[in-house]
Amino acid sequence: MVKGTFVIITAIFFLAISFFLFTDITVFQAGYGKTKFYLAGGVGIVLKVLKTPVRSLDYFFENYVNLIDVKRRNEELKKRVGEMELENQKIPELEKENQRLRGLLQLVEQQPNQLIAARIVGEDVMNWFKCILIDKGRYAGIKERMPVITPSGIVGQAVEVDSWHTKVMVINDTNSAVDVYVAGKNTRGIVEGTGQTVLKLKYVLKNDDIEVGDKLVTSGKDAIFPKGLAVGIVINVDKYKAGLFADVDVMPFNNFKKLDEVLVVKKS
Amino acid sequence: MRKLACLAFGLFLLMSESSLFSFLPIELTKPDIGVPFIIYGTFFLSPAEGLVAAVVFGFFQEILSSGPHGALLFTNVGLLLSCLFLKSRLFIESRYTFSLVCAASVLVESLIFLALSLLSKGETRNFHNVMVFSIPVAIVTGFISLFMFKFFEHFKIRYLGRV
Repeated sequence: MVKGTFVIITAIFFLAISFFLFTDITVFQAGYGKTKFYLAGGVGIVLKVLKTPVRSLDYFFENYVNLIDVKRRNEELKKRVGEMELENQKIPELEKENQRLRGLLQLVEQQPNQLIAARIVGEDVMNWFKCILIDKGRYAGIKERMPVITPSGIVGQAVEVDSWHTKVMVINDTNSAVDVYVAGKNTRGIVEGTGQTVLKLKYVLKNDDIEVGDKLVTSGKDAIFPKGLAVGIVINVDKYKAGLFADVDVMPFNNFKKLDEVLVVKKS
Repeated sequence: MRKLACLAFGLFLLMSESSLFSFLPIELTKPDIGVPFIIYGTFFLSPAEGLVAAVVFGFFQEILSSGPHGALLFTNVGLLLSCLFLKSRLFIESRYTFSLVCAASVLVESLIFLALSLLSKGETRNFHNVMVFSIPVAIVTGFISLFMFKFFEHFKIRYLGRV
């Protein structure tokens, strides 16, 4: 009975601590942040080790399981084409990877001291939030609030950095907001995450110049993302809903579930 | 020792969910691995073990998530307190009841998180997002709990007094 009461008191203590952490009280944040920093270093290493077989599994799924019918057909044709067919199977995958890496390299070459290339080692365990974990951290020069991009467009921003790994909040997280403008037009707004694939463009007046198919780029006015990075494309504009602002849906250029490598933009 | 091994396995599952299974299209149905551990710890072991599971899983989930500081720790400990309250009122006699309780716990966790966001910061923007995921996650977590229960029973760590 005494033990049970002690547990309840301890649980209430933890509940109070986590409540204070949630409400951003600085005294608690500092100690908690430090504990997380050291423990996250260890967790990051485990994630990196666990991610290694994923690449092989990815290859296995893409080249065998998903192509089981093709494989069967290939068996029939095997006598005719022999080893050449197997070699050819590998080429599209290698070409795709080559193209992706060439895109990254091009960006890195343009700004060699400003970009850090990193691989993705994990993703958020809760689907209420959207983040990815990358295999570069403080030792590679990454700091909090640095933008993360790919050649296709922006991915998100670094929110927690430990020695070797970084947690990146993706732009479709509900806590994410990016200041953007419509390319070639004067219309500005804030792209907010919804937790789903589609993003929302907020604070666009109904008489602003915007239509389906418009491309959105960063304005640089949020002090996180540099100006001119691609964000997404407008897929729906509803100017008939009640209120001052139009309801605008945006599809990001990146598919955040399919990312393998990203670039972190260094800020001075 | 067996309990520690179970806990370590749970953490391994959590990390695998983040990295190893990230290539699977399970976004909508990502199970909450911590819930079966908290429920089993509270109902079949002692409240202290339930508390350890709630704090450890809450903390590790925060490391592997971009949620605000304290949010997941709060929901896990909140769930533990709800379970402690229900311990003498709810009897889990089979893995099916265990599975149902786990599924319901996922919904309770979502409600605790929404209440926390609303009452402490006045935020409602997560409401739609959390609600969309709650039911699929509850179903998948309930399904996985069936196997988790078998796993816990295999380790024979249950206190006999509870049976």
